[in-house]
Amino acid sequence: MSNGKIVAGFLAPHPPHLVYGENPPQNEARSQGGWEQLRWAYERARASLERLKPDVLLVHSPHWMTQLGHHFLGVPTLKGKSVDPIFPNLFRYNFALDVDVELAEACCSEARSRGLVSKMMRNPDFRVDYGTITTLHMIRPQWDIPVVGISANNSPYYLSTKEGLEEMAVLGDATRAAIERTGRRAVLLASNTLCHWHFHEEPEIPEDMSREHPQSYAGYQWDMRIIELFRKGRTKEVFSLLPQFIDEAFAEVKSGALTWMFAAMGYPEIPGQLHGYGTVIGTGNAVMEWDLSAPAAPVAAAA
Amino acid sequence: MPLVAALLVPGSPLPYLRPDNPPWKPIAEAYRAAATALQAARPDVLLVYSTQWIAVLDQLWQSRARVTGLHVDENWYEFGNLPFDLAIDTEVTASCIESTASIGVRSKGVDYDGFPIDTGTIVANGSLNADGRARLVIAANNVYHDWTRTSQLAAIAATTAERYGRRYAVVGVGGLSGTIFRTEIDLAQDRIAGDENDALNRGLLARLQQADVAGLAEFCADYAKRTRADMGMKHLAWILGGLGDRYRGADVLGYGPTYGAGAAIVQFRL
Ligand SMILES: [Fe+2]
Repeated sequence: MSNGKIVAGFLAPHPPHLVYGENPPQNEARSQGGWEQLRWAYERARASLERLKPDVLLVHSPHWMTQLGHHFLGVPTLKGKSVDPIFPNLFRYNFALDVDVELAEACCSEARSRGLVSKMMRNPDFRVDYGTITTLHMIRPQWDIPVVGISANNSPYYLSTKEGLEEMAVLGDATRAAIERTGRRAVLLASNTLCHWHFHEEPEIPEDMSREHPQSYAGYQWDMRIIELFRKGRTKEVFSLLPQFIDEAFAEVKSGALTWMFAAMGYPEIPGQLHGYGTVIGTGNAVMEWDLSAPAAPVAAAA
Repeated sequence: MPLVAALLVPGSPLPYLRPDNPPWKPIAEAYRAAATALQAARPDVLLVYSTQWIAVLDQLWQSRARVTGLHVDENWYEFGNLPFDLAIDTEVTASCIESTASIGVRSKGVDYDGFPIDTGTIVANGSLNADGRARLVIAANNVYHDWTRTSQLAAIAATTAERYGRRYAVVGVGGLSGTIFRTEIDLAQDRIAGDENDALNRGLLARLQQADVAGLAEFCADYAKRTRADMGMKHLAWILGGLGDRYRGADVLGYGPTYGAGAAIVQFRL
């Protein structure tokens, strides 16, 4: 098989609050709603995904942080209960997911051939991290599309932002090559929050939206600047600003998912579609889509 | 004397899951020696702080009476699973949670089936307290807490254990230098990554042996910067806080590498 392609990429952040606010049957915790703007943003993204009809979803998550290289889920089926270590009151989710092991192995070998330390995770008892699960639930709650789960190597923190993100770009190239080689129709999910300054205490009622707002005005301004550039298709400019954005807004994109995704897509200078923006315990979260199946078409800015 | 023991131990699963790998033997053997010493001290409760249990919002404490499950380390999953069965001293824990308001820290109990218990806590408990004879008080490592705050929390835990008449041991779970090998190595050839890290680790251990506590926080801040030490050595702050910064000396029961990082087991003389 060949002629695989990446049909779209999504910025798909993973605050577990969004799952909590939705009250799906898989989550034990019950809420009275909350974070509607972001959940409705994900509704629009879900509709897009439905139209895109991908064979596989690839997700890069900062909450599977690995020290020795880049790891890929490599067990055909993984299930269990994922409890968020930071918000166990909100997220206790019973998951079951199917892994596209063939594609994961192809990604791993392409990464290896480009000089990255890469490993397949073969332990059937492995507990998938809550970032991966939240992003996947929010984009496709039916869980009927196979998945490739990719760890976030800690290189941006351990080495430097620059060196770490260079590695993520190589990982992105490897991912694209693997998708093309295996003939998959793939959607990429960058599981990242933007500005990551957050409040240090949770309201008594976590979903009390009268308490929800950006923790930092400067961080909010940074988020708007990045989103506006993305909406205009000024991708190069975003990536030249990224190190400063990371430093000043403590942005979670430091962990590499956004860079991985854009490198895989070839840094397209096409307008990203903003499905919505909202804060979660003060952090800035945008749900955005880059549809590569119609790159020339102008994309209306939503939300 | 209700304080009966104090130990610094590593949370890496490598010597625990592969005790026969030669470079990891010193730690595996020292863990056995520490377990024997601890058993002789007959603690009712271990006051445990593991650098790998990360908290961000409040100060978290395990408050579920019995926590059981199977953990798989997110880095070292190929070496095997980590089953655990922890018995919590809920009475002392509840009192700790109430008491931290006195230092301006909001605490919360964690009582959820399936909560991801960290590798370090499982390794320490499985090595030191395999039969579950001692119950545990387990405090999270809030990343926004510094050395002093961590030390204060340990002091609260110790005072509380004492108030409830417990014989208690203070256990800080974490590594030394945090510089690791970033490429695959022959495990049988594992060693401390870098001579400078090795020298600095030995310097810290010597200082602990001499019970040279004055200025230790500043020393560790510098040491942590130079060696990428595990969480700024806050697990050591926990031990010293639990000891009230007073001990007579220390014995290094073992020292060795865990994929390049430094690990040691230190028993403090009370
Ligand atoms: Fe996150």
